[in-house]
Amino acid sequence: MPQLRTSSTDPHSASQRRRTPLAATSRVTRHAGWSQIPHYSRIFGIETEYGVAVTGANQPIAATQVAMEMFKPVVSRDRSTNTYMDNGSRLYLDVGSHPEYATAESRTVLEAVAQDAAGEQIMARLAQSCQQRLATQYGEHTRVHVFKNNVDSQGHSFGCHENYLLRRQVPLRAIEHELIPFLVTRSLYTGAGRVSGSGKNAYGFELTQRADFLDDAISSATTRVRPMVNTRDEPHADSDLFRRLHVIVGDSNRSQVATWMKLATTHLVLCVIEAACRARALGESSEQDVLRTDIAGDGPFAHLQLANPTEALRQVSQDITGTAPLALAHGGSMSALAIQREYLRVVRDFVRGHSEDTNIAFPQVQRVLEHWQLVLDALASGRWQYLSSWVDWACKLRIIEGLQHRAKQQGHTLNADQLQQLDLDYHDVANGTIFSKLVSSGQMEVLMQDADVQQALHHAPRGTRAQLRAQFLQAVRHTDMRYSVDWTHVQLQEPYSMQAQLLDPFNAQPTAQLSAIMDVLTGKQHG
Amino acid sequence: MPQEQQQRSSAQQDQVVAQQEAQHSQQFQAQTQDFDAVLDDIASVLATNAQEYVSSFVQQGGE
Repeated sequence: MPQLRTSSTDPHSASQRRRTPLAATSRVTRHAGWSQIPHYSRIFGIETEYGVAVTGANQPIAATQVAMEMFKPVVSRDRSTNTYMDNGSRLYLDVGSHPEYATAESRTVLEAVAQDAAGEQIMARLAQSCQQRLATQYGEHTRVHVFKNNVDSQGHSFGCHENYLLRRQVPLRAIEHELIPFLVTRSLYTGAGRVSGSGKNAYGFELTQRADFLDDAISSATTRVRPMVNTRDEPHADSDLFRRLHVIVGDSNRSQVATWMKLATTHLVLCVIEAACRARALGESSEQDVLRTDIAGDGPFAHLQLANPTEALRQVSQDITGTAPLALAHGGSMSALAIQREYLRVVRDFVRGHSEDTNIAFPQVQRVLEHWQLVLDALASGRWQYLSSWVDWACKLRIIEGLQHRAKQQGHTLNADQLQQLDLDYHDVANGTIFSKLVSSGQMEVLMQDADVQQALHHAPRGTRAQLRAQFLQAVRHTDMRYSVDWTHVQLQEPYSMQAQLLDPFNAQPTAQLSAIMDVLTGKQHG
Repeated sequence: MPQEQQQRSSAQQDQVVAQQEAQHSQQFQAQTQDFDAVLDDIASVLATNAQEYVSSFVQQGGE
C-alpha cells in the first residue's frame, strides 16, 4: 500500500500539512481558519439510550413519568429536556422516554471512553435525586433503575450508536462489503450478552443484545427497520470532506475495556479502508475530483463480504464458540473467528507500516492488538471464561452459570425471571449490584479511575471544538443571558444577538465570531 | 489507563501473546476462587422479587 501519510507525527501540530490534491486544497482554504487535518485523524462519538424502571413503589409508575422526573433538574436549569453539559456532551430525553447521552467529539478512543463513563455518572446522579423525590410520594422503598442496555422485558429495543467521522471518498459500497463483516463478527468481544432464549446453549444465552432486532445491513431508517449502519449523513463538519459513519449495530457496554476495544478496532479497520480508497482514487482518477469520486473496486477486505449479513449476525450472536460457518458473498464460508483473524492480520500489518503516525500507532495500539489476539485465541480454545474480566457477555454468562450451578447444588434451578433479573441488574447504573461488585472486587478491569471520570465530567476532549462549546457554556451559565447551542453553533439570544459557527470538529481555536462572544461573556467588551 | 508501549516485531509480538496467555491461565486459576466469593454477594440480587423487577421494565422502542 502506498505511503500517503504526512511525515509529521503530531496530529495537533499547526505545521501539519497533508499531501492534498489541488482541488481538495482549495476546498479546505474556502473555510477561513480550517485546521489542517491529517490523514487517519478521526472524531469519535457514542450516543447511548438508557432504559428506566421503578421497583418498590407503593403504586404503579410509568417509564414516561420516571424519565420526566429524572429530567426535572435539567428542565429547571435550561427550560428544556434537551441540553448540552459543561463537558461539551449532549443530554436529552429521546423518543420513547429514553434518557440519552451523546459524548462530545473526541479525537482519541480513550477520551471517548472517559466521556461515556461520565455519561453513566450523570445518569446515576439524575436517578438518585429522582429516587429521593419519588420516595416522598411512592414510599421509601422506591428504587429507580437506569439500564445501560438495549432491550426491555417486552422486547422493545433501543440503541447505542457509534459515530466515526469518515473521509468522504469512502463509498458506501466499501462500508457494505468491507466493514459490515467486521461489525458482524466483532460481536465476539463487543457483545453485552443477553438471556433471550435464542442462544444455542443451556440458558438460551446469546452474545449480543441487538442481533434479534436488526433487519438490514445499510439503510436510512432507524426505528421501523433497523440497519447495522445508518446512512443518515450528518457529519457536523465540512460535508465535502467527511461523511458520518453512524454504526447502530453495537451493544451498550458496561465494560470500559469492551467500549475501548469496540472503538479502537473499528477505527483501525476504517483506517485501512480509507487508505485503500485513497490509493485507488489517486491511482485511478485525476487529482481534480479525487476527494469527491466514489470509485468502485476491491479493497483489502472484499473477500470477507457476507452473503447475508443479518442472518450472519444472528448466527454469531447465538454461537458462543465463534465457529459457526457464515456464508460468504463470493461462495464458501468462514467462521466469525476466522474472519476476525483476517481483519487482525491486515490491521497488524497496516499498523506496522505506519509506526510514525500517531493516529494509527496511538499510544495504546499494541495493547489493542494484544487484547484482540488474546480474545480470538481464548475463544478458539473454548476458554471463554478467561475473558470475563472485560468481555461483557463472558462475564455475564459466567455469573449465570455460577449461580445456576449453586442453585442446583441446593436442589432447585433459577427460573426465567431470575435469569433475566441477573441480566438486567448487570446494566443498572443507578441501583445495580452486580457490576459494582465486580469492579470493587477487581473481577472487572477498568480503564477510568474516579479522577478520570471527574475530569471527563467537567472538561471537554482536547483538541476539539467541544472545548469551545464547553468554554461558552461554562461562561454563559454564570450570566442570565439567553443562549442556544448545538453541535455546530453557539448563540447569544438576549440581550445580545450574536452567533458563532463551529464547523471544524478538529479545531479548538476560537474563531473571530466566538472570540467576540467570549469577550462579551467575560466582560471584556460590551456587545 | 493502558500503558504506552513500543512497536514490536511480529515474532516478539507472538511471544508476548504466548507469555500473556500463560500468565492469564495462572491468573484465571487464582481468580476463580475470588470470583466464587463475588458470586456470594451477587446472589443477593436474587433475594428480591424477580418477577416484579423484570415486569417493571417496559419502555417504548427508541432510536
